[in-house]
Amino acid sequence: MWEPREPVRQGGLIRYVHDGEYHCYNPDVIAALQTAVRSGDYAHYERYASLVNQRPIATLRDLLRANPVGPAVPLDEVEPIENILPRFDSAGMSLGALSPEAHEALAIAMNRLGARSNSGEGGEDPARYNSERVSKIKQVASGRFGVTAEYLVNAEVIQIKIAQGAKPGEGGQLPGHKVTEMIAKLRYAKPGVALISPPPHHDIYSIEDLAQLIFDLKQVNPAALVSVKLVSEPGVGTIAAGVVKAYADLITISGYDGGTGASPLTSVKYAGSPWELGLSEAHQVLRANDLRHKVRLQTDGGLKTGLDVIKAAILGAESYGFGTGPMVALGCKYLRICHLNNCATGVATQNDLLRSDYFIGLPEMVMHYFRFVAEEVRILMAELGVRKLEDIIGRVSMMEQLPGETRRHGRLDLQAIISDCGIDDSQAQFCSDPHNNPFDKGELAETILEEVLPAIEAKRGGEFRFDIRNDNRSIGARLSGEIARRYGNHGMADAPMTIRLFGTAGQSFGAWNVAGVNLELEGDANDYVGKGMAAGRIVIKPPTGSRFETKDAVIIGNTCLYGATGGQLFAAGQAGERFAVRNSGATTVVEGAGDHCCEYMTEGCVVVLGRSGINFGAGMTGGFAYVLDLDRAFVDRYHHGLIDIHRINPESMEAHLHHLRSLIEEHVRHTGSAWGNELLDDFRTYLPKFWVVKPKVADLDSLIESLRAAA
Amino acid sequence: MSKHPLQFLEVPRRDPEKDAADVRILHYDEIYGSFDAADAGSQAGRCLDCGNPYCEWKCPVHNYIPDWLKLIEEGDLFQAAELSHQTNSLPEICGRICPQDRLCEGACTLDDANGAVSIGSIEKYITDEALKLGWRPDLSRIVDTGKRVGIVGAGPAGLAAADVLARKGIRSVVFDAHGEIGGLLTYGIPSFKLEKKVVRTRREILQGMGVEFVLNTHIGENKSFLSLLDEFDAVFLGMGTYNYIKGGFPGENLPGVHEALPYLIANNCRELNASLPPFPYVDLADKRVIVLGGGDTGMDCVRTAIRQGASSVSCVYRRDEANMPGSRREVENSKEEGVRFLFNQQPLEIIGRDRVSGVKVIQTRLGSAGTDGRRRPENVVGTEKILPTDAVIVAFGFSASPANWFADFDIGLRSNGLVKVGGSDRLPLQTMNPMIFAGGDMVRGSDLVVTAVFEGREAAASIAQYLGV
Repeated sequence: MWEPREPVRQGGLIRYVHDGEYHCYNPDVIAALQTAVRSGDYAHYERYASLVNQRPIATLRDLLRANPVGPAVPLDEVEPIENILPRFDSAGMSLGALSPEAHEALAIAMNRLGARSNSGEGGEDPARYNSERVSKIKQVASGRFGVTAEYLVNAEVIQIKIAQGAKPGEGGQLPGHKVTEMIAKLRYAKPGVALISPPPHHDIYSIEDLAQLIFDLKQVNPAALVSVKLVSEPGVGTIAAGVVKAYADLITISGYDGGTGASPLTSVKYAGSPWELGLSEAHQVLRANDLRHKVRLQTDGGLKTGLDVIKAAILGAESYGFGTGPMVALGCKYLRICHLNNCATGVATQNDLLRSDYFIGLPEMVMHYFRFVAEEVRILMAELGVRKLEDIIGRVSMMEQLPGETRRHGRLDLQAIISDCGIDDSQAQFCSDPHNNPFDKGELAETILEEVLPAIEAKRGGEFRFDIRNDNRSIGARLSGEIARRYGNHGMADAPMTIRLFGTAGQSFGAWNVAGVNLELEGDANDYVGKGMAAGRIVIKPPTGSRFETKDAVIIGNTCLYGATGGQLFAAGQAGERFAVRNSGATTVVEGAGDHCCEYMTEGCVVVLGRSGINFGAGMTGGFAYVLDLDRAFVDRYHHGLIDIHRINPESMEAHLHHLRSLIEEHVRHTGSAWGNELLDDFRTYLPKFWVVKPKVADLDSLIESLRAAA
Repeated sequence: MSKHPLQFLEVPRRDPEKDAADVRILHYDEIYGSFDAADAGSQAGRCLDCGNPYCEWKCPVHNYIPDWLKLIEEGDLFQAAELSHQTNSLPEICGRICPQDRLCEGACTLDDANGAVSIGSIEKYITDEALKLGWRPDLSRIVDTGKRVGIVGAGPAGLAAADVLARKGIRSVVFDAHGEIGGLLTYGIPSFKLEKKVVRTRREILQGMGVEFVLNTHIGENKSFLSLLDEFDAVFLGMGTYNYIKGGFPGENLPGVHEALPYLIANNCRELNASLPPFPYVDLADKRVIVLGGGDTGMDCVRTAIRQGASSVSCVYRRDEANMPGSRREVENSKEEGVRFLFNQQPLEIIGRDRVSGVKVIQTRLGSAGTDGRRRPENVVGTEKILPTDAVIVAFGFSASPANWFADFDIGLRSNGLVKVGGSDRLPLQTMNPMIFAGGDMVRGSDLVVTAVFEGREAAASIAQYLGV
C-alpha cells in the first residue's frame, strides 16, 4: 500500500544500500577478506568466513547443511592442504579485462600453490610462457583472441568457454579505451577499437562441431587436458554427457552468482542459474550413463569459502573455480566500474597511472586466500569425520535441506539436488581416467609427423606428398603443434616445408597452422580450413584436369579461417558460410563466399573474386576486403552497421589497385585459377566492379600500410 | 556515475579554503569557507559510484552519499537537499563536525587513490546553499496523525527524533533546560567548528515543520516528568551524558585543574552572551596550559585555550598519534594553531601545593590490543618527568549521568548507568517502560553527534511503530 509518510526507498538491488537487498560481496565481506589476506592471519579469515557462511539465506546451498558421516577425526589425520590446492583454479578473466599486473600476480600465485590460473580470452604474452607467470589454463572462447598454436602448446589445460555462468548466451565486449597497444598486440587487433567476443563459437553449431574443436585442440597439444565450460541450466546434464562423448577431459559447470562485476546491468540479475542445480544434474546424468569416471567435474560461480567447497564436493564437483575471491584478494573492492577503465584499485584497468600507483596486489595475498580456503576445507572435513576430499565427492546422503528463514524458503524442494537418483553405488563419483582419448587416433597426422619430424628438428624444410581422405581430420595441426613447441609461431618461417596432399581433406584442414607449414591440397576440403591459423600458407585447388568453373563450385566448407591471426589461404573456388569470421590477420583469396563473410573481423585482408552472401562484415572492426560485385547487389548484402564500401579509383587509389592486383596474381600463381587469370587479363574492365570494404572508423589510405605493419 | 571516468585523477581532492592559522586564532568564527557550485560539482564528480558504496556503509546514518554527489554534479541542489534529509536530520551540522576521515571519507575507495571525495564539505554545501535559496523540507503531503510525543533534551538525538516524527505526522514538543536548542552542539562545541547561527537556522527549520520547543525547562525540576507522561502519547529521552571521567590520580582537585566540558560551556556561553553560565568562565590568557586526553573534546579545549591567548598549550596523550581516537583533521588544525603534542605520556599526578604547578608523566609504549581492539599503553619504568604548567584541563570523556527520577518510571539502567533499551520483547530503543524511548549518549555512552542523530531517528521509527502510525 502506498504510504505517503514513507520516503521512496533508495533501492539497493544492483548496488549495495544499507537495509536494502543482501549482497554476497557487501562491504563487510570485502573488508574482512582484504584484512585477512593482507595479514595472513587465519583468525582474520575466520571472521570473513563466518560473515559468508552465516549470511542470511542468499543461495540454494545456504539451505543445505552437510552432516557428519561419523565422529570427528583429528585434524592432523585429514589430508594436507597440498592435496586440496591442486583442485583450485582461478576462473577465466582476460588480460584486457584485468591489468597485466593483476593478471600476472594471479598466475604467479596459482602456480606457486600448485594450482592453475586461467588466461581468459585475450591471448598471453609469449614472454610469460615457461615462467611462473604462465597461465596453465588457456582459454579458447568465441572471439579466439590470441589463440595460436604457440598459445595452445603452452597450456596444461585448454578450456573451451561455451558460455559464462553470469551471462549465458551473451558475448563479451572489451571497450575501445581498454584496448591499449599491448592488448591490441596480444589480440591481433588495433589499439582503441572495441573488441567483440561473439555470443556463439562460429565453429560450434552442434555437439559434433564441439567434438571437432576438442579434436583440433588435442591434435595441436596432445598432452593437454581439454576442458569445456558450460553454464548451469536445465538440461545441462544431457549436454555434459554429450561433451564427455565428445572427448572432453574436464567439464566446468558455471553458476550465476559470480563474475558479474563487468556484466552489463541487464545481466547482473535474473540471468543464469545457480551452480547447485547444474552441478547436481550433470553429476547425476554422468553417473547414470557410466560416464562420470571419464571426466573431471568442476564448478564455479560465487565460491567464497571452504564451506562452499565442501558443499560443491558433496554435490559432485572434484575441482573448484574461483573468480571474484582472488580478485578481491588482489585489492578489487567490487566497484562495478570494470568497463570504464578507471578502476581505482588498478585491478581492472589498463590506465598506466592506476596500474603503477594504485594497484597493491601481491601474489602472496592470493596465496593466503587459497591456503585459508583449503585449511577451512580441512577443518570442516575433520568435523564431518572424513580424511580425504574424495570421500565426500558426490556423497549426497550427507546433505540435509534446512527449513530456511521464510515461508517461501520452506516451500522450496531441493530433494532433486541431493538425490542419488537410485544409481548404483558402484558408479564412479569422480574421474579416474587420466585422459578421455578420442576414438579417432589421427593416424595420417601421426604418419605425416613421423616423416616430417627430422626436417622440423633439423629446421631444414623440404617437400612431402601424401594422399588424404575425408576422415583425416585436423591435418596439419599435429605438425604445427610440434613446430610451435620448438620454435613458436614464426620460428620456421625461414625453412618452410611444403606438404602436398591429394584427395578430400576432412574437417579442420590446416588448423592452428604456423610458419614453415605450407599445405597444398589438390582436391577439396571440408569445414574449418585454416581455423586459428597463425602463419604459413594453405593452397587448395581442384585436381588437375577437372573441368568445372572454379568460381561456381564450392571448394572449402564452412567457417574457414575462423580466428586466424595470420598466414595466407588461397582457394580456387567458393568458400562456404561464415568465411573469415573473427579473422584477425590472415590474407586470403577465394572465388566466392557464403553468408556472414568477415563477421567480427579485426585485422587481415579478404579478397572475394565472386558472389558473397548476406550479412557481410557484421561487427567488423578491423582489416578490410576486396569484393567483386558482378551482379551489383553487394550493397544490399553487406551489413551497414560498422562498415562502409568504396569503389577503387584508379587515379587516387593506386595503392589499392596494385595491392588487389598483386593478391590476384599470387592466387593465380599458387592455384592456377583460370578465373583469376581472366580477371587479370581484363583488369581494367573488372576493376570498377570491385568494392573496398572497410570499417567506418578506418582510414582508406592507411589500410594497406597497417596490414603490413601488423604482419 | 561521473561523466568523466578519470575525473578523480584529473581533479585532485580539494577542501574549501581554510583561514590561515595566525588569523583564525584571533576569533571564534568557523575556519573553513564554503564550496561554490562549480567546486562542489567538480569535487562531487570525482565519485566513482562504486558498486559497494563504502562511504554509505561506514556512515552511521547511511547517507545516500553517491546519489547526492551525483545530484550535485548535475546541479540539482534541491533534490540533493531532499535526499540528504531522508537519512540525516542535521546534515549541515554533520558536514561540519563529523570526523569524516574516520567515517565516510576514510572508507571512500579513493582514500587510497588520490584522495577521498570531499564528502563532508559537500554535505555542508548542500543544505547551507539549499536553505539560502529558500528550500525547506516538503511536508505538504504529510497528514497529521494527532499523536503527540514529548522529547526531553534538544541535543542531536532529540532534534533527530523530532525531525523524523514530524515527517511521520507526529507532533512533538522538545523540552530543554537551556535557553537555546542544540545541547552540546550549542554549548559544548566551540563555534570555530560550528557557528551557532547554524543551529539557530536549524531551529527555524524544525519549527517550520511543526516542532515546538519549550526551553529553560528542566524536567524533574521546574516541570515534572509525570506531567509529560500525562500530556503525551510517548516520550523520548535524549539527555546525553554529563559526568566527566576523572583521571583518578592525585592532585585532580587542585585549583587550576579544570574539567573539559565546564571549561568549554563557560567559554561558549560567554561568546553567546548566554545568560546562564552554570560554570565559572575560565580565562587561560598568558597561561601555560596542559590538556590531558587526545579525543575530540581535548582538541576543542586546546584550540579554545589558544584563542583565549594561552602562552603555551600542550596536549598529553598516552598512546601514539596513530592511535588517537579523534578526528585527524582536528589534530592537524590544532598543530597549525600552535598546539604541542606529547604522545606516549601517561599522567600520574598533578603537582602543586596550593595550586597546580606541573603534571608528572611517565613514558608509555603500546602493548597488545585490548578487548576494544586498541593497543593498550604500558608504562616504561624509570621515565617519569614533570611538565611545568599553570593550568590543566582534563578531557577523558564522559560517563552516564542518569536522572534520579528514572527509577520512578521504570526506566531501567545497565550497570554502567546507561539506559537499557530494546531486547527481544521491546522495540529498538524502547526502555523498560513501553511508553518511554531513549537514545543518544545516554544509551550508548558518549559518542559522535552523528550516532546520536541515528539513534534519535531509530527511536522515532520505533515510536511510530509503538503508536501504530
